[in-house]
Amino acid sequence: MADFKIENLSFEYPATGKKALDNVNLSIKQGEYIVVCGKSGSGKTTLLRHLKSVLTPHGNVGGEILLDGRPLKEVSLREQSSKIGYVMQNPDNQIVTDKVWHELAFGLESLGCDKRTMRLRVAEMASYFGIQSWFHSDVSSLSGGQKQLLNLASIMAMQPTVIILDEPTSQLDPIAAMDFLSTVRKINLELGTTIIISEHRLEEVFPSADRVIIMENGRVAADESPRTIGNTLMKQNSDMLASLPSPMKIYYAVNSAQSCPLTVREGRSWLSNELDSVKQNQLPLENEYEEPISPAIELKEVWFRYDKSSPDVLKGACLKIEKNTLHAILGGNGMGKSTMLKTICNIEKPYRGDVFIEGKKLSKYKTSELFKGCLAMLPQDPQSLFVKKTVEEDLLEMLDGKDASAIEKTAEICEVTHLLKSHPYDLSGGEQQRAALAKVLLCEPKYLLLDEPTKGIDSFFKLKLAQILKHLCENGVTVIMVSHDVEFCAMYADYISMFFDGSIITTNTPNRFFAQNSFYTTAANRMSRHIFENAVTNEDVIKLCKINK
Amino acid sequence: MNTAFDGYHPAVNIMFFAGAIAMGMFFTHPVFLCVSAAASALYYLLLTHKSGMGFLFGMLLTALCVSFINPFLNTTGDTVLFTYLNARPFTLEALLYGFATGGMFFSMLMWFASFNIIMTSEKFIFIFGALAPALSLMLTMILRLVPSFKRKARSIAAARKCIGKAPKGDTKKDALENSMSILSVLTSWALENAVITADSMKSRGYGSAKRSCFAQYKLKKQDITAIIIMLAATALIASGGAVGGVGYAAFLLLPSIIHVKEELTWLILKSRI
Repeated sequence: MADFKIENLSFEYPATGKKALDNVNLSIKQGEYIVVCGKSGSGKTTLLRHLKSVLTPHGNVGGEILLDGRPLKEVSLREQSSKIGYVMQNPDNQIVTDKVWHELAFGLESLGCDKRTMRLRVAEMASYFGIQSWFHSDVSSLSGGQKQLLNLASIMAMQPTVIILDEPTSQLDPIAAMDFLSTVRKINLELGTTIIISEHRLEEVFPSADRVIIMENGRVAADESPRTIGNTLMKQNSDMLASLPSPMKIYYAVNSAQSCPLTVREGRSWLSNELDSVKQNQLPLENEYEEPISPAIELKEVWFRYDKSSPDVLKGACLKIEKNTLHAILGGNGMGKSTMLKTICNIEKPYRGDVFIEGKKLSKYKTSELFKGCLAMLPQDPQSLFVKKTVEEDLLEMLDGKDASAIEKTAEICEVTHLLKSHPYDLSGGEQQRAALAKVLLCEPKYLLLDEPTKGIDSFFKLKLAQILKHLCENGVTVIMVSHDVEFCAMYADYISMFFDGSIITTNTPNRFFAQNSFYTTAANRMSRHIFENAVTNEDVIKLCKINK
Repeated sequence: MNTAFDGYHPAVNIMFFAGAIAMGMFFTHPVFLCVSAAASALYYLLLTHKSGMGFLFGMLLTALCVSFINPFLNTTGDTVLFTYLNARPFTLEALLYGFATGGMFFSMLMWFASFNIIMTSEKFIFIFGALAPALSLMLTMILRLVPSFKRKARSIAAARKCIGKAPKGDTKKDALENSMSILSVLTSWALENAVITADSMKSRGYGSAKRSCFAQYKLKKQDITAIIIMLAATALIASGGAVGGVGYAAFLLLPSIIHVKEELTWLILKSRI
């Protein structure tokens, strides 16, 4: 059994004077699935880390945590190690060894488990998680999703009664994330393991959750079932409303008397019941997409492969990007979207075909010319942009003798002013993304390339990011972004291209693009497509609901 | 990769290679040298098929060069073949000695090449793990760290290029400065990662008990047979003379015989279908 009881827990990091946790009271029963959410910096990680003694940060602690009625501090390291599993954010750094089989056995080796038991447990876990086919692989050859699954499996091998997961999917693409979360769900249902998870992707975890705990400034702002949590948030007029799953957001915007839908399926039936007669089932369509005549950036039949003997990654990719627009490129994982951005940046050179920037061949540009006020790219891993000891120094590096006031302005736009003195590696994933964006913006590029800019950031900063990008587009910047974030692209992109099998399959305006897709589309569209013809964003659905009511 | 000898227990693998390499260095008898060179080349070819031909002939040439260079450096010997440069002798004895050195050089290289193919890092760590568990864990972690270090360095360099921070290529100073900042951030990256890895290790009970070792390999009947054969062959070698030569050949040809036997078994199995 593992019942957690948290009593009046307060915590203060040394020399900050601010309470990271403020009088937290919670009780968690065996077998519950608990989602902890809140803005970044609201104390989620700090709270979760207190549930395992070896991970508890140093600082002033008040209150108590009880595990099965015993103070957690008195539970031995050994017992805590096997009973309480902890999965962290970054899939890479948690892995200790170089082989999958060794990683699975690591915890058991540490506990000094005998050989027979170890063999059996490792075999069990490999089968349960479907790891058999890559059991002997090198860890470095795995994808991010596989790595995180391995982390979970190697913890499960120790047979914990509770698993704590701290934003486990923030570095994963949506499909891998869904896979991971459904495995977590399966563990909860089939083994009765308690799950305590902090997550940004509420769509995926709300349907499985028993309780949702909302953190705000180190306090528990709400602790309720997912179906009723919206009411409390509405009463508090909380910022958290913006991060609720689409069906819930639409539900609360429409003022319905029925109970709150959590999933797309429930949303569909809710919508059918809500609207008796439909007067208007579509919104005015946007103009048909036309290819720009003089594109800012153009890819002409670009072919690329990493090695002479390896398969083609880009197979005659053609793309025309209009000036001053936000052009989003969607597509599956590992298909070569990022590679396409790299060919535009001249990091990877195509073996056939050409890239044109403002009608001039990329190869005719000098490197200095290209990256000074022309192109800039935010890479998938924003961390690789930082080379200095503080964020401020990193931003200063970009100035090259220009006016230092630019830093303040950019820092403010990206909301990193309070982080300027911190070491870039101390920032959370979302904060790193913002600081990296600030650094890239200081290049003052005319063409901004973003590789998954919404990865790891919460819904609040997504809004902000959208504003920043819009502002840039209005001021003569052309933005190309590669993304998995369907909802974000639907809301804010001017044009969307679908990338598949090494080339661009189709390009269209968001409304037309998503209205014609049935799988690869927004939750709002999937929820409403049986009634409305082209409602793509939540706002579209809400608008149509209000018209028809 | 799954060749026959590869599937044997790592202890058998390492016993064989340690034996072959140690004896190859000690025995300078021409017959023994020939046996060693032939057996090592045969096994290397069996492992690599055609792709190893280039390396093999390259090494053979190098070995021949070594052999022919020796008489120029070493002039001792009675049988003078010819003289050059103010009557400096080129002797048959020195040439033959050169052949011996070259042959040993060649067979050592061939054994090491096969050793590299058979003894993967996993097996190495398994052997070490039994002797020194902490050291073997450290080795595993280093094996993981080095490639990830390389990858990170590459990704930082590429990321910096995209914001116009690549070395301009004009001056050495520029390039050096750029590499220095990458190196410094790599260090902090590695330290930062180490903290997380340490957390992950502690949270999985590292240090809470005496470590045990996951045994991926089990000593099977075939392994014991191979060990007995190797020991018997060693005993024959110790007895010396012609019998010793036969023993030596038996020892060195063991992996090749296992390999060929398995190939033949497959051939027969296939022909029955």
